[in-house]
Amino acid sequence: MVRGALFKKSLRDMQKSKAQFISIFMMAALAVAIMTGLDSIWFTVQNHADAMYRAANLSDLWVTVQNPSEQDLRGIRQIDGVMQAEKRFSAEADTDLPGKPALHVYALDDLSTLDQPELREGQFSKYGGGAVLDSEFAKAHDLKIGDSISIKINGVWVRLPIDGLALNSEQVYAVKNAATIVPDPEAYGFMVIHTGVLEGVYGQKVYNQISVKTAPGTDLAQVVQKSDTIIGKKLIGTTLQKDSTSVSSVNGRIQQFKTLSVVFPLLFFLVTALITQSTMVRLVESQRGQIGILKALGYSKRRILWHYTSYGVMTGALGSAAGLLIGPNLFGRILVPQLKLTLSSYSIHINYWNFAFAFLLILLCTGGVSFYACRKLQGDTPAVLLRDKQPKKGTHVFLESISSFWEKIKFSSKLMVRNTMKNKGRFIMGIIGIMGCVGVIIAALTIRSTIAGLNDQMYGNTFTYDQKVLIDTGKADFRYLNNLELDGITQQVQESAIEVICPNGKQKMEPITITTRDSPLIHMQDADGTLISLPESGILMTRKLCETLGVKQGDSIRIKRTDKDYVSVPITEVTYMASGQGIYVTNAYWKSLDETFKPTALLIQWNGQPDQRFLESDIVVDSATRESQNSGLSSSMQTVNFAVVAMIIMGASLAFVVLYNISILNFVERIRDLATLRVLGFHHREIRNLVLLENYFSMLLGMLAGIPIGRFISWVIASSLDERLDLLGNITWPDVLLAAVMTLCFAWIINTVVARKMKQIDMLEALKSVE
Amino acid sequence: MGFITFENVDREYHIGDNVIKAVDGINFKLEQGTFNVILGQSGAGKTTLLNLLGGMDSPTAGRIVVNGKEISSMSEHELTDYRRTQIGFVFQFYNLVPNLTALENVQLAEEICPDPLDAREMLQRVGLEKRLDNFPSQMSGGEQQRVSIARALAKNPQIVLCDEPTGALDSETGQKVLRLIREVSSELGKTVIIVTHNASIAEMAQTVLHMRDGKIAETEFHKNPKKMEEIAW
Repeated sequence: MVRGALFKKSLRDMQKSKAQFISIFMMAALAVAIMTGLDSIWFTVQNHADAMYRAANLSDLWVTVQNPSEQDLRGIRQIDGVMQAEKRFSAEADTDLPGKPALHVYALDDLSTLDQPELREGQFSKYGGGAVLDSEFAKAHDLKIGDSISIKINGVWVRLPIDGLALNSEQVYAVKNAATIVPDPEAYGFMVIHTGVLEGVYGQKVYNQISVKTAPGTDLAQVVQKSDTIIGKKLIGTTLQKDSTSVSSVNGRIQQFKTLSVVFPLLFFLVTALITQSTMVRLVESQRGQIGILKALGYSKRRILWHYTSYGVMTGALGSAAGLLIGPNLFGRILVPQLKLTLSSYSIHINYWNFAFAFLLILLCTGGVSFYACRKLQGDTPAVLLRDKQPKKGTHVFLESISSFWEKIKFSSKLMVRNTMKNKGRFIMGIIGIMGCVGVIIAALTIRSTIAGLNDQMYGNTFTYDQKVLIDTGKADFRYLNNLELDGITQQVQESAIEVICPNGKQKMEPITITTRDSPLIHMQDADGTLISLPESGILMTRKLCETLGVKQGDSIRIKRTDKDYVSVPITEVTYMASGQGIYVTNAYWKSLDETFKPTALLIQWNGQPDQRFLESDIVVDSATRESQNSGLSSSMQTVNFAVVAMIIMGASLAFVVLYNISILNFVERIRDLATLRVLGFHHREIRNLVLLENYFSMLLGMLAGIPIGRFISWVIASSLDERLDLLGNITWPDVLLAAVMTLCFAWIINTVVARKMKQIDMLEALKSVE
Repeated sequence: MGFITFENVDREYHIGDNVIKAVDGINFKLEQGTFNVILGQSGAGKTTLLNLLGGMDSPTAGRIVVNGKEISSMSEHELTDYRRTQIGFVFQFYNLVPNLTALENVQLAEEICPDPLDAREMLQRVGLEKRLDNFPSQMSGGEQQRVSIARALAKNPQIVLCDEPTGALDSETGQKVLRLIREVSSELGKTVIIVTHNASIAEMAQTVLHMRDGKIAETEFHKNPKKMEEIAW
């Protein structure tokens, strides 16, 4: 064990090489902090979300059906594995609040037990006429218990008192639809009421969904199929819990952080190991004589080996202790709220298995590497160790064989080349450090520009309308809209959701858009930017949806028609759409499937001023300008910017620690050579360049290697960012260049610091004797 | 005024609260093209004197004038230029750059000097024409010291300073190295100053400065210095 004189020696040795051991400590702490921090994020989200799902008794699937009968309900209850089934009403409603925010309204029966709101304040009074409102939404709109709110369901305005404020396990990630990227409680929330309220408005209870809770381990695909048979033609669609917008987004986040907690720390663990290696090799080499003395005194091989291993173990253990403290507390606490999830609690949950894993991994990278580094010297006898060391060997390098080249370069370049080849480990460490730095920064910048570019992609290329007007389908149909004489280009679209069954048996509800074939205001493109027109027959599906469903161009899927059977349709075209995954068909093809085209929205590109008279007419339910949809995207940039800064700091820390170490080692190890040069009459600047220019060599290679790494990390993040987004994560030259410039700046800062340190050291001292 | 003049030169070091006068009120003059030895026990201040003369250190008091220039008042940058153009160094432990071959070690000097001598020719003069591409680790101590001499002379300096040049060598090799320093430098007309504690070397010098406790205890002039062969080690 470490104790007594040897322990004191190790402490003093470490103090002598402060910079290196602090670097190891910092890298170890960072590696562990990033790993456990990212890990704690998904672990926390998973724990709290699961707790909410349990507390709310969240259904495993929902069957959407127009006016489900008691018979339907009984049928579903009899399916194997179904424990509970309840009818409910679920729909979107407008409000009269400023900014026209929308609410998702759930109406539950008095005796319902499934999908209960999680009350934070007030109550959900049975048989009452009041409502439970989204607490975040209430906060955003400054509403309190006792206030009233007007909502419009199915064309009828109802005014309701607010009885309680709550969270909802179906709205943890509260977004209105696929077009919204980040939850915004200003614009969207939920409300839970009793079906009795609807009875008061419509004269009867209204339902449109059956919530189903199954026993654990039930084959949900079976339940979906059977419900489909029981409901028959009336079926609109089925949604599994994991496919519902909120749950799938939450799971997506969890998956994303699981992936990141593996990908990111890797680099840091690697660099920790490399720094430990270079530090310990140098330390053990410089203590050759001391090892000889210890051996001569009679210390055992194992004791000495442990003595040097303990340097790494101590530093690694301290570093990981700091990392374990910082990771969940800093990364976790800062990032969990940034995810914009509405959880019942944000307290950090810690995955102790991961703690143990990170701890062991870092011990391997520090202690293990130290052990390996000093193992070599153990074979020698004390006599050999005590003898003066041979001068360091110079070796010829490959480049010298090209004599025409070798003759021409300056001696300083020769020195750099030979020195680099001699210290390959350090060289590789430099490359990896810079590679990581550049890679992480490229990824950060790429993600930022990809998301910023979504705006241009979606509202510059794909959608070219000025305004999207939601139409009251009861008052205006296709022909009516056709005959509107508006000054501009218009396009009618019907947006809804449809149940699809894939050849592989997957069955779920997906968004569908039906529009005219010429589609003057929606321009489909493939990933290369080639325009694609809506197919005359068959459907067009977005690429990401194809991936999610596991289908490809040429496959046929079955889709559920309104009040009719399924029909098989071929996937004729696949399009790339960054945001808004779904199915697109022409109105003509839709009609050929025996359906009717009922436009729900009109896209308009005005020639001049918007026609106010039309916009204020009673067929218009709501209208949104492209700018307003655009700004929804921009608000998500804040979160992204935060992540970008965090990533750049991580990258920078890699570059700083690695470059500082290489430079210092390069300097300290050669202090005698450099002192000689100084005496020969080299100026300070010339010597500084000799040491520091070497770094630029590994930096150049590191930067080149960083590009594919950046590409890879960008791709990992882009593909896991959001299921509803199809991001390519393609890196662009401006981003690569910017990352390179930033890295060069870091290098410049480090070089300045090291150069200052170089000036402080007395070169005459170094000349006096052989080390 | 001589080619090298020291006037009341002091060099103090502060170690903790103690003040140590490594060089204490030294005065001497040396002529151009002469072969000189500074003799003394270790700790007598020889190396400090050499460092002052070599522009690696500055005196705390007094004046040092070399070749008409007062180096005691030069800035760090000027001193570097002074070392670059005027001084050739030979060290006890050779101080070759391990990563450079013999030839490259000499070229090192060539590269920074305004008027260098040919590196190959210098190595030929010290008898190493066959070891040009060897690294220091592949050479014996004597050979390494010869490379060091070639390097010092290739700079074509006015003054060659040698700090215990034979200290790490056996006597036979040491003699050869000394003879080499003497021959080559007199051929090229260089002023040589050797610091040593080996009294027998002193007999071959024209001027011998005996140092004790930071002071010059005695100055010896030899009209006819002994030849190398005549010196008994």
